[in-house]
Amino acid sequence: MQTNTEDRSKRYINPYFGGVLLGLLLLFTIFITGRGLGASGAVKSSVVATVDRVAPSYAVKQDYLKKFISDTQRPMNNWLVFETIGIFAGAFLSGLFAGRVKKFRVEHSPKITPKTRLIYATLGGMLFGIGSQFGRGCTSGAALSGTATMATAGFLAMILIFGSGYMFAYFFRKLWI
Amino acid sequence: MGPLIANGYIDPAWNNVIALLVGIAFGYILEASGFSSSRKLAGVFYGYDFVVLRVFMTAVMVAMVGLVYFNYMGWIDLSQIFILPTYMTSVIVGGVIMGLGFVMGGFCPGTSFTGVAVGKLDALFFSIGLYLGIFIFSLAFPWLEKIYYGGDLGPITLMESLGISRGLFTFLFVLATLGAFWVASMVKKRVKDIEI
Amino acid sequence: MNKTYFFLIVIVVLLGAGALFIPEERFTEELPPDQLFLKMNDPSRFVTTDQVARAIIDGDPNILIVDTRSADQYEAFNLPGSVNIPLEELIDSTGNIDERWEDYLGIEGMYIAFYSNGDVCADQAWVLCTRLGINDLFVMRGGLNRWVETILKPSPPEQTAPGEEFALYDFRKGASMYFGGGGAIEVEEQSAVPVTPVRKKKKQVISGGC
Repeated sequence: MQTNTEDRSKRYINPYFGGVLLGLLLLFTIFITGRGLGASGAVKSSVVATVDRVAPSYAVKQDYLKKFISDTQRPMNNWLVFETIGIFAGAFLSGLFAGRVKKFRVEHSPKITPKTRLIYATLGGMLFGIGSQFGRGCTSGAALSGTATMATAGFLAMILIFGSGYMFAYFFRKLWI
Repeated sequence: MGPLIANGYIDPAWNNVIALLVGIAFGYILEASGFSSSRKLAGVFYGYDFVVLRVFMTAVMVAMVGLVYFNYMGWIDLSQIFILPTYMTSVIVGGVIMGLGFVMGGFCPGTSFTGVAVGKLDALFFSIGLYLGIFIFSLAFPWLEKIYYGGDLGPITLMESLGISRGLFTFLFVLATLGAFWVASMVKKRVKDIEI
Repeated sequence: MNKTYFFLIVIVVLLGAGALFIPEERFTEELPPDQLFLKMNDPSRFVTTDQVARAIIDGDPNILIVDTRSADQYEAFNLPGSVNIPLEELIDSTGNIDERWEDYLGIEGMYIAFYSNGDVCADQAWVLCTRLGINDLFVMRGGLNRWVETILKPSPPEQTAPGEEFALYDFRKGASMYFGGGGAIEVEEQSAVPVTPVRKKKKQVISGGC
């Protein structure tokens, strides 16, 4: 029985089928809202909201954060924040049906310790956070939606993210293989 | 007709509800495709798992082709959709940094959220890293401002940048995508599988 | 290769190749010909000179009066508060409303009355704009010719005419004075009503990105 659930949790949908579904979702989203999908924007909103709560006087004059603070709307009342809440819910549902939701664990290559993995995950997250601000979007906001809507910035972001990934892949191969 | 909200077919009050529903579908598709696993994601860089390439490129292709037909049918006004503005310096710096972050962290923001949802600690740490990264960026913004606003070209599209029509680019993109899938399947055969 | 994948590849390539042959038109919401025909035969698309005069005198903010004659003719004489959109320049080379007029036409809750010397130019402007999906358009029946006959130089009704005609005549006499036509009192050549057309709000800009 144990092996049975183990197998089930490794069963993913066909990647091309997943891609078609994702593409249709993206098309549908653009059709309804005029904008694509996104993810890192929600984290940015929560940074803005935190600073706004902890040090409001700093937030309104901080050069970067003040761009995202308005008198009429609270920082967390944002399209992307709601979308991201949905991402959590949807992923949880999918994981639940496929038997992938388990208690917290670290997924890592057998050659590295969980601690190494966590350190690199945090570092990678920090870099991605900084990069997503320069790119004005992450893989979903800039690369995926941007390329689909033919924005030059989106296409460049897609090429550069994967290009630089391949470029640096050699140096971090111990982490994965 | 479309975009429906901007043209008043749907009341803007529904915006957040739609966002939530879109997010649920987005998260479900990502997780079901296996994007909650960093080792599957990183496989694209080492040739042992091309799920990222397949899902991502197929999605872009479907949406791109779909928009061409939607425009033709008069269902969507392409002049009204959001076009990401191009800041050349900024997007190059950002893209390179994101690529480095991808190969180090094994996630991108959206996928890390799906990882957190199924209980991956590394995904949680990646998300915390994201938060810290954006916080650091905003603190350092006075020094980064030059790069952030560098090479401003406005919201230009690939048609303007390359001087070709939307249809031609879409067709070339479809061919390039199919080519990439073929190359990926060739590479996958040579690289030895690893147990994820 | 798997049969399903081969099939899918063919579909995708065909769809992609289809994109090559699709004209990249600017999006327009055209009115289908049958509906246009119905609208053209609806007499309520005409307004009388009296209704236009009353709207100008009342300063009705929901009515925009559009002069479809050439700029020279507009300079020589126009109705107070009217905007000049020459018929020849109404449509640009792509077959859409010229950018210069986009701010005036198609405003939600705004009624537009076209006029010219007679009915012809105003009627053409009405058909063109209606075909392009703009609502709430009207034509001032009889044009400026009737304007002069009825508003600027009204003739008194017959003695035996019903009372409404006398009321109308009284109104026209007043309007005649207001517009500085052949009335007894000379008023300023141009009306004091300032031209402040309501401009259309710019299309809602969608913000986005991460």
